[in-house]
Amino acid sequence: MSGTAVSERAVAEKAGLDKPAISVRNLDFYYGENKALRNISMEFPTRKVTGMIGPSGCGKSTLLRVLNRMYDLYPGQRATGEVMFDGRNVIAPGMDVNRLRARVGMVFQKPTPFPMSIYDNIAFGVKLHEKLSRSEMDGRVEDVLRRVALWGEVRDRLRASATALSGGQQQRLCIARTIATRPEVVLLDEPTSALDPVSTARIEELLDELKKEFTIAIVTHNMQQAARCADQVAFFYLGELIEMDSTDRIFTAPRETRTQDYITGRFG
Amino acid sequence: MTEATHTVKSYEQELERLRGMMARMGGLVERQTAQAVKAVVEGDEEAAIEAPDLDPEVDELEREAEALAIRILALRSPMAIDLREIVAALKITGDLERIGDYAASIARRALKLDMDGGISLIGLRSMGRLVQDNLRRAIDALAARDRDQAVAVWQADTAVDELYTAMFRELMTYMMEDPRNIGSCIHLLFVAKNLERIGDHTTNIAERIYYAVTGEMLPSVRPRGGLGHSSSPDAR
Repeated sequence: MSGTAVSERAVAEKAGLDKPAISVRNLDFYYGENKALRNISMEFPTRKVTGMIGPSGCGKSTLLRVLNRMYDLYPGQRATGEVMFDGRNVIAPGMDVNRLRARVGMVFQKPTPFPMSIYDNIAFGVKLHEKLSRSEMDGRVEDVLRRVALWGEVRDRLRASATALSGGQQQRLCIARTIATRPEVVLLDEPTSALDPVSTARIEELLDELKKEFTIAIVTHNMQQAARCADQVAFFYLGELIEMDSTDRIFTAPRETRTQDYITGRFG
Repeated sequence: MTEATHTVKSYEQELERLRGMMARMGGLVERQTAQAVKAVVEGDEEAAIEAPDLDPEVDELEREAEALAIRILALRSPMAIDLREIVAALKITGDLERIGDYAASIARRALKLDMDGGISLIGLRSMGRLVQDNLRRAIDALAARDRDQAVAVWQADTAVDELYTAMFRELMTYMMEDPRNIGSCIHLLFVAKNLERIGDHTTNIAERIYYAVTGEMLPSVRPRGGLGHSSSPDAR
């Protein structure tokens, strides 16, 4: 028993799994004058799923957008503090934002396929970062489509427009597109809120597979989804991180009254 | 403890209904146990008849509570303290139902007792009082969600076990003295055993309350008093 634990830990240390993929320290975030995140400090453990929950406007999506500097696209938004990823502060000036976004990929609430073929949806992002031969690219496309369990459904129509796919298929395609650039971290912002229960179950099943390779952060309003998918869960309220703990602990016996009130549906 | 109420009022009402069912069951089972003890130690025939008569109502309440708990689990997906309370309710109603069965069984036995052999009922009387007292406190703790009271009840069962062990020896002595006592003594031994079982289910209830309120489990082994497990008369 203890022997197994020791060897598992040894393997984990060797793979660097004991280190968090991202460490956030004393992070503040502003929309103009408005402070949207207050002194957030937390870690995203390597190859684990971190769920982020909280009422609308609590800052969870904002934090997600800080992790790959998505906020840079909008004027008047700024972050202070530290977001350490691979030894560098992501929010410091001089960060190569394009490279960062390839390494920290993001999937949005609504599926956002590009108005091009299924094949090109995946190849497009890869071409920006890597020079692959035709056959290498074919291999990459097939590999990621297989991993999101979409290959069987689209293998005969890779040249067809991605917009003709169903919502659930489109979202799996977007996840395939995100992992095609071989990121280390995948951020998901309510990835299933526009999907039916079957497509949702497929995505959740997929997350379980993906976490073997990627560090995952998922924002969700669906408490059951956080309970099913996440290894650890962070609860945010009014821009503050109220409580972060193992998923078991958060959903059976949270320490903070505010967490309990929120997850049991007692928020006024 | 969370004092806020649910945003969805019907959810709150369902939880209140579940609590109400448990309270009614608790009241009935307390009554059954009191009547059962009275039937044995005072030879009260009316009490001996009433205790089993209450049984169908207790059984029906258990079924209703189970159906409601399953409904809440299915429709509300309860979390945290609500989840713990509902799971505890499922188990507590089971414990209460068993206590009711034991009480009914004690009362039925009281009707068959022939107490002419001069057997002292002092031990049984104190055991009955202690078991009733613990059960009452457990049911109070349930209504008040009082973790300290739950711990007190949980610890108090050691005394019940000790009294049971003493009763066992006392009844053996009566049987060895005069074989004509054997019939009554065996009945009384079953009564004592049933009281001891009521004590165990009361302890279970205390454990569930503690879990529902705190989210922590009490240790699986209760600190035992003077008598070790091995000296218990039953091979459990």
